[in-house]
Amino acid sequence: MSISRRDFLKMAGSSAAAMTMLTNMGLSPTMAQDVVNIAFGGWGGVAEDEGVKEAIAVFMEENSGIAIDWQHTPDAGEYSRITLTNIAAGTAPDTSFIRADDYETLAVNGVLMDLTDLIENDPLLGQEDYFIQPQETNRSAVNGRWYGIGSTWVAHHIYYNADIFEAAGITPPGFQDDEIWAWDEFLEICNELTMDSAGRHPDDSGFDPDDIQQYAIDWPMGWWMPLTAAVFSNDGQIFDEDGLIVLDSDQAMEAMQRVADLIFVQHVAPRSASLQSLGMNNTQMIDTGRLAMGIDGSWALSWMNPTELSVNMGTGALPKMVRPATALQAHFHSVLSSTEHPEEAWEWVRFLATPFYQEHFSKIGLWTPNQTAMLTEEGLKGWITEGIHPDNYSQWATDYLPAHGVAVSLPPGWIEANNDYIQPAIDAIANGERAVDVFPDAVANANEVLIASKG
Amino acid sequence: MALQNKKKIEPEQNWIVQQYNRLSLKQRRTVMGYIFIMPFILGFLFWFLIPALVAGNLTLQKWNLISPPRYIGFDNFEKLLSDPILGQSLKVTLIFSSISVPIGLVFAFFLAMLINTKVPGIAVFRTIYFLPSIVPAVANAILWAWLFNTEFGLINFIIRALGGPKIGWLQDPGWVMVAFVILTIWGVGGSMIIFLAGLQGIPEIYYEAAEIDGAGRWAKLRYVTLPVMSPIIFFNLVIGFINSFQIFVSALLITNGGPQNSTLFLVLYIYRTAFQSQNMGYAAVLSWLLFFILMILSFIVFKYIGSRVYYENPGD
Repeated sequence: MSISRRDFLKMAGSSAAAMTMLTNMGLSPTMAQDVVNIAFGGWGGVAEDEGVKEAIAVFMEENSGIAIDWQHTPDAGEYSRITLTNIAAGTAPDTSFIRADDYETLAVNGVLMDLTDLIENDPLLGQEDYFIQPQETNRSAVNGRWYGIGSTWVAHHIYYNADIFEAAGITPPGFQDDEIWAWDEFLEICNELTMDSAGRHPDDSGFDPDDIQQYAIDWPMGWWMPLTAAVFSNDGQIFDEDGLIVLDSDQAMEAMQRVADLIFVQHVAPRSASLQSLGMNNTQMIDTGRLAMGIDGSWALSWMNPTELSVNMGTGALPKMVRPATALQAHFHSVLSSTEHPEEAWEWVRFLATPFYQEHFSKIGLWTPNQTAMLTEEGLKGWITEGIHPDNYSQWATDYLPAHGVAVSLPPGWIEANNDYIQPAIDAIANGERAVDVFPDAVANANEVLIASKG
Repeated sequence: MALQNKKKIEPEQNWIVQQYNRLSLKQRRTVMGYIFIMPFILGFLFWFLIPALVAGNLTLQKWNLISPPRYIGFDNFEKLLSDPILGQSLKVTLIFSSISVPIGLVFAFFLAMLINTKVPGIAVFRTIYFLPSIVPAVANAILWAWLFNTEFGLINFIIRALGGPKIGWLQDPGWVMVAFVILTIWGVGGSMIIFLAGLQGIPEIYYEAAEIDGAGRWAKLRYVTLPVMSPIIFFNLVIGFINSFQIFVSALLITNGGPQNSTLFLVLYIYRTAFQSQNMGYAAVLSWLLFFILMILSFIVFKYIGSRVYYENPGD
């Protein structure tokens, strides 16, 4: 038989259209009828992408009726934008990573499902000290209800080049209370560790601040988190009980000024590049011996560890001003209220809060546990990895964080207030201006934004 | 077979064709004309006009993407008049545009004249000068972030080697604008090629006539090259302004609007307002504002500079 070309094209076109329609309606023969599809959105680099896929494989083996569809975006900021647009379009995923910046805004607007009862009634998660408290409740509770489960804790600490310390004959910092430096001690040590090309220290005459060969410390000022660690350490706060910003308090401004002075007064810190870290960052500086200590989030251990670096390295706590402190945050795992399968979605989110998932990322140095079960002797063995975690790292998780970690919870409107007023003020002091000159106005303007967002 | 027995409809029996055959030749040509421009018209409708009208409607609403929008009248317009960040944004965009466009034009023209020579291997140079303009935006951003790095960037390294100071290219609000102008000018390859095409279209007889009249190099440039090139210069000027006003990717990736909002160009501010501050209504107002600014700017440029353009073959 022969059919004309026109007829053939008509047949091909209509059958393709029919197939598309059938597939979209879910009636095509390749799809089983009784598997529930849960979409799971999130971000992260290659390590996180692979970790999630592994977790999905394990979960789907144990739960054959649920299929997880992983929707990955490399960048957290972009993921936020994509999720918002999807929510507006009605195509939001069933479950998702939720950034700490967006958590309260989304919860208050009813986008996230209330998980409080499910968590409390869960035999594993509902145990009283399953999570490190009070930090976990501080960040998760919005008006007393939980809308997501925190994935982990991450916080800033010092990464140091052990070879430099050895050559200078100085004991590096640690995580035990007697190993944490007071601020004056810290400044003295930084002075010892900073040298220009002639070997002079900042307090020597003839020191050339434009020609520094080795810096002692890099304290990032590209965003709020490392700076607020200093604020907490000086007994300051970011927000007061009404949820308004109080970074213009004397303690807060003094803390931030001290950090900026490391660059401009003591000359022990470089003017680090912008937030996105496009360009040489502290990792290369430590690795090439240009920097003795770099402050970065605990997640950086996944690349700044003994295996990856060519120098001997170690970790220690931030120096203290009034008391030791560091700022804690992390993303949440939440179920979105628009989901059509709340039970299956909860099963998945619940799985992510069990030790298996957290162990995977803690092993590679990306995460620090927020679950107390992983901080026991037995629990530690499950994730402390030789070659990734320095010898004292278990103390970071078991002693330092629960005692000195301050959980941060960000109110609605924070993103706008930060972008428009707080970050520019931080930029200003990173550029040599005085905190007392820029922060009062910045905080006043920022608080106006927060108040307007409450409406 | 069933298909062979199917009754074949002759084209003349198809009712669309029957209507078509009733039209006169002139009418048929009109219809065909419209059919050919239909793709563009549909694209214009769906991807410009309708979204613009929806955005216009959005200017009267408050919408944060996660709750339903609600009407708030002219509140967004009131915010427009009292927004200090918008003032800053407009200021830096205008400064950037007014510096980078003229410098870029002159530089592109100069380069075009340089490569408009019949030297062996000139094609290599043309490629070299054109390549920067097709580097993907993200790669471009990473490249320049490295080059401009205060402590270890190549540019500061060279400056320090020559005895100069350490410049905070991406950290000093004053220097960051210079940095952006530099990186924009690095990408003038596109306008350069357009200028080159124009230069090659100038008839030789004009230059010969000018030489006979005793014109030297500068006179030839002033009295032959520039007037004949003026439509192309004008085109590049308008396109240059429109593009420079919409700089976005570099600002987002290299400095994210910093330091201290000194690179918070208007499109970046719109993007932030829409997707970070989650204020779609106000972002819609800002987008329309950008449109009006560009319209007014184009009108001014057309009126005051367009009238001085010399067209070899004026239209009917």
